[in-house]
Amino acid sequence: MSEQRPVTPAPAARPVERRRGWWGWFDPRGRRLGGWAFALNRLTGLGLVAYLYLHLGVLALLARGPEAWDAFVDFALNPLVLVGDVVLIFGMLFHGLNGLRVGLVGYGVVASRQAALFVGLMIIGAIVLVVATLRVFA
Amino acid sequence: MSVQPRPGEEPGGGAGGFLGQVISGAALLVLLALHMIAQHFVVPEGLRDYAAVIDWLRSPIVVVLELAFLAFVTWHALLGVRAIIFDYGFSTSTERWITRAFAVIGVATVVYGTWLLYAVISAA
Repeated sequence: MSEQRPVTPAPAARPVERRRGWWGWFDPRGRRLGGWAFALNRLTGLGLVAYLYLHLGVLALLARGPEAWDAFVDFALNPLVLVGDVVLIFGMLFHGLNGLRVGLVGYGVVASRQAALFVGLMIIGAIVLVVATLRVFA
Repeated sequence: MSVQPRPGEEPGGGAGGFLGQVISGAALLVLLALHMIAQHFVVPEGLRDYAAVIDWLRSPIVVVLELAFLAFVTWHALLGVRAIIFDYGFSTSTERWITRAFAVIGVATVVYGTWLLYAVISAA
């Protein structure tokens, strides 16, 4: 009969980012693809939160009437704003598709093939980004 | 190549937060896609002019979808920011206060967005 040894759970590792501060998001030491995906997921997430409140502020122009809104529509056709639109679409695509991977893997779905899942989703995202960019500048 | 998350990389500030992020994230994949296609990609210049916006908002389905989008995106956004803040380590009582503050911000955001939608529709 084998000797019963007490099983002590390993202490939970502190996130690398907490140990290194927020600069840890950009620290390449020991970082694998998943770590970069994690960092970019957070950066795009924070950018999208900022955009959410900017968007709500812009939509307030609708309450000020047609002159205010239609002037904004003209402004939004500025090429610099259109470049911003493409950056925004990139953020949404990366955050959404990587989030889909994190959700699936977190619940054990295709966990063993998550690298392939990540690459596949990023290819889909890149195709959608190209189509969207063409549409934005059409 | 590995994309295995390292310990602590799971978003959401705990299992409940992670589940909340997954549910709201899944809803957002659908609602954001609908929003982007209907509000931007099928519109000739990417944005409707005032008259077209008002006409668009006459549909109750559009209003319901936009309100659902607002609620889910606010929930997902604030839960995500909370998770990032929690990663830096606070006491339980501080985390409770942070959660309350985000709840207030979230409710205020949804109330503001709902009021804005109502104001635009009723002004037309």
